[in-house]
Amino acid sequence: MKGQVVLVSRLAARDLRRRPVESLMVLLVIAAAATTLTVAFALSGVTNQPYQQTRLATAGPDVIAVEGGGGGRGPAQPVSSAQLAATVVSLTTAPGVTAHSGPYPTSLSVIRFRGHTVDVVAEGRDRAPASVDQPKVTQGGWIRPGAVVIERGFADALGVHVGDNVRLGGRSFRVAGIAVTAAVPPYPSSLCHIVCSFPVPKGSFGVPNMGLVWLTRSAVAGFAGSGSNIGYLLNLKLANPAQAPAFAAQHPGTFTWQSIQSAINALIGIEQVALGFGGWLIGLLALAGLGVLVGRRMTEQARRIGLLKAVGATPMTVAGVLLFEHIALALAAATVGLVAGSSIAPLLTGTGAGLVGAPGAPSISVSTVIIIAVIALAVATVSSLVPAIRAARTSTVSALADAPRVPRRRPMLTAVSARLPVPLLLALRQLSRRPRRALLNAISIAVTVTGIVAILANYAHISSANLTISNLKVDRLNELTAIITVMLIILAAVNTTFIAWATAADGRFSSALERALGATAGQVTAGLSMAALLPALPGAIIGIPLGIEVYHLLGSGTPLTVPPAWQLAGVFLSTLLAVTVLTAIPSRLSARRPPARILQTE
Amino acid sequence: MISMRPVLRASGLCKTFGSEAALVRAVDGVDLDVATGETVAIMGPSGCGKSTLLHLLGGLERPSAGEIELAGKTVTDSSERALAHLRRSAVGFVFQGFYLMDELTAIENVELPGLLAGRSPRAARARARELLEQVGLADRTGFLPSALSGGQRQRVAIARALINRPIIVLADEPTGNLDSTATVEVLRLFEALHESGQTLVIVTHEQRVAATADRLISMRDGVFVDEMRMTGGSRGDLGQLIGLGGE
Amino acid sequence: MQQEVVLALLAKEPSQGYQLRARLDEALGPLGEGLNAGHIYVTLGRLEKTGMVALEEPPQGRTQRADRKIYHLTPAGQERVFQWLSEVSWSRPHLAEFHLKLVAAAQAGLADPVSIVDAQRREMLRRLRDAQRAAMEEPDHSDAALLLEGVVLRLQADLRWLEACERNWIGRRERS
Repeated sequence: MKGQVVLVSRLAARDLRRRPVESLMVLLVIAAAATTLTVAFALSGVTNQPYQQTRLATAGPDVIAVEGGGGGRGPAQPVSSAQLAATVVSLTTAPGVTAHSGPYPTSLSVIRFRGHTVDVVAEGRDRAPASVDQPKVTQGGWIRPGAVVIERGFADALGVHVGDNVRLGGRSFRVAGIAVTAAVPPYPSSLCHIVCSFPVPKGSFGVPNMGLVWLTRSAVAGFAGSGSNIGYLLNLKLANPAQAPAFAAQHPGTFTWQSIQSAINALIGIEQVALGFGGWLIGLLALAGLGVLVGRRMTEQARRIGLLKAVGATPMTVAGVLLFEHIALALAAATVGLVAGSSIAPLLTGTGAGLVGAPGAPSISVSTVIIIAVIALAVATVSSLVPAIRAARTSTVSALADAPRVPRRRPMLTAVSARLPVPLLLALRQLSRRPRRALLNAISIAVTVTGIVAILANYAHISSANLTISNLKVDRLNELTAIITVMLIILAAVNTTFIAWATAADGRFSSALERALGATAGQVTAGLSMAALLPALPGAIIGIPLGIEVYHLLGSGTPLTVPPAWQLAGVFLSTLLAVTVLTAIPSRLSARRPPARILQTE
Repeated sequence: MISMRPVLRASGLCKTFGSEAALVRAVDGVDLDVATGETVAIMGPSGCGKSTLLHLLGGLERPSAGEIELAGKTVTDSSERALAHLRRSAVGFVFQGFYLMDELTAIENVELPGLLAGRSPRAARARARELLEQVGLADRTGFLPSALSGGQRQRVAIARALINRPIIVLADEPTGNLDSTATVEVLRLFEALHESGQTLVIVTHEQRVAATADRLISMRDGVFVDEMRMTGGSRGDLGQLIGLGGE
Repeated sequence: MQQEVVLALLAKEPSQGYQLRARLDEALGPLGEGLNAGHIYVTLGRLEKTGMVALEEPPQGRTQRADRKIYHLTPAGQERVFQWLSEVSWSRPHLAEFHLKLVAAAQAGLADPVSIVDAQRREMLRRLRDAQRAAMEEPDHSDAALLLEGVVLRLQADLRWLEACERNWIGRRERS
């Protein structure tokens, strides 16, 4: 048994060493797929459960009552202390209420920092921790006189750090700390998202641009100018949090934690959509690349299996050798992908910065690791076991003879290609030998172009709706989509290069023969490049309307936005150019070797 | 039929493979003149470099040293492009393994170098048909290689080598994969070509193939060691060959 | 035993009958076992009668025993040997004869075995060419064609052996 293991590992290692470029390519394709998938998972994971975590960490309230102008409700109306006391009593003694904190004074103000001027809601708090809704400080410390604590999403957008000085309502405050809360949706949403009724200038996507800060009660009292913009917030905890909507229905002026959650979701809905969409695209690209990889490995193994069987290897040993090799590669690639992905993902988790989940910590969940590993193993298994099983059924002799699968005859294509210039002739014949690969190539390009066009449509929409006010939020979205675009492009480039290399490598013999029959190296190179370019054309063409339509569908309510023609033309041409360039190198390298070596008879 | 001016002239041809430590001199200083219409056979044990020599003559490989002149033009310093041009117009190659495209029919295989040379599809197709007739496969033009016997496949390959009216046909072990019946088919074809004035250089390890040549060159370890003109009959008569009369 | 073979063996040096026999055995190996022991003396007798071979003069007065007789080549015999070496006929039991031709030539230093092989090869190739030509001119499946094909195949086989001889003798030459 041990001898078997040693043999298997030695055979596998030798084979990997014998074809280094091939093994590297396999590693690259799987690693690229793993990286992008990891990032996609990480990004989507970030927006799933953090609100729940925040609620737990901050003892978030189930119901919040707003009194007076605190959330901006109604015109300036002073709230008398008697009125306030009555409301507090009625709410805190209502059936189902188990705990409460507040009432806390709130006031509208304006924050100025490094050229940014943004509206804020300032909430006055005690230094001692509250029993319900105690914002969790993630950096620095809690409030003290002369200092302010800023909500994390807002701080992230402003670029503010602990120790900076900000101007609030005309006074200068030091930033004591940064915290998260579950009582108010994080920036770029705000309380106003839920309960605003006075006209606050709307930012992008109908969300007013307001941040949240915490100060001492006295500091907030100091903001009260011309009377009436002091409002009050009261936090309630219920025995049964699920009953919050029913409770809020009975008590006007309250809102529930569920409405906060949906506000968050609605807000990052767009981002989630973008992420989801991007994730799907990336997934499709990864599958296309892996599909070509697996298909190729499967056909190559037949002869090797024949050799092994001929020297007496049992089917088990054969399967063992193949599996060992492929699993080693796949796991190595998956590890690289996971590590790379987890390094990249934190750069992007600023999106959900307002929710618990420190930016520096890897947002890779166990399920992500498992999924990636499963995909890698699946690739390895299919690549190795399918040919092993197939070969176990056929005779050793025919496997050894390695009669290559004769490509299907396509008389029409052959006749048509005869009339075309030589590079096109070669390209068409090359494509007709491997139509599935051409299809995967086309799909790969189509997916990429769809993604890029959708993102361009997004930009067009944003700039056309003249949404310049909440540019912090827009910046964040732009950043996110830019990252997705880059990932798409990188993965598409890996795919294209891989497919081009694979085509050149697999076609090595026919290319050499064509050269022996009189085609120049230049013609062969051009033929190989065209074989990659021809499927890319329809892919790029389809991608444009598809991208526009997809954006239209996903945008839910956004009108049909068509990016300017020059941008579309630019995408189309640069895609084709990129494909040409990427495929030129493997094609050229392959076409340069003297035909004699490849056609060796001795 | 054999004129005086050499159609192929190679002088000082060398081809080395590998690095300093393990240098292999596949061809180590070969001079060869082939006259128009001549059939030359090159024989030798395996590994003697005869296939490499043929690849050099056909422009499939560049020599490490030496010169090759084809129809009066020096071709050794040509660009890759010019070599390709050479391959499609001046030289026709026949391989031991036939190397037909499996997914093309016989006639599509034959016309391929014609198309690569830029001929119109119609002209190429017509010439291909003509050649297949010449090699005796007029009724199999639409057959795939898998439906042809070894000898028939090689005949298709020979027709393919002829489509661009090459100055010289180079054949590398053309009967290596064939049984004796198929070998006779191919030898007949070579004989017919020879009669029509085609210049042929055949590399082979089979005696009977070599016996059809005008000139037989023996090669060993990358150099020519012997040359023999095959003109003139043998000293015994045919009756003697089969043991009738004489000793 | 071909007379020429015995002549050629004598070309190395004058020898007694049993010495010649020993050299024959060595050259033929197991294939020589069938040879009649006395046959060589019969051949020597014949050769003496035709004047190719002569006996050394015995010491004064004494008659020699048959097996002590020492034979040597006469000038006529020498000439015949040279003639035989350059002959390229290939008669029926030819393998052993040719083989011995080479061995004798090498041992006597009379000629380079490699060039003997070479000459024979050329002749065989010419015959092959003629036979093949004749075979191809016949219509397919005719009786003559079949016979000629047989000739071609046997000639091919012989030529292969001749190639092996050449390789072998070149190797020996290089080693010595």
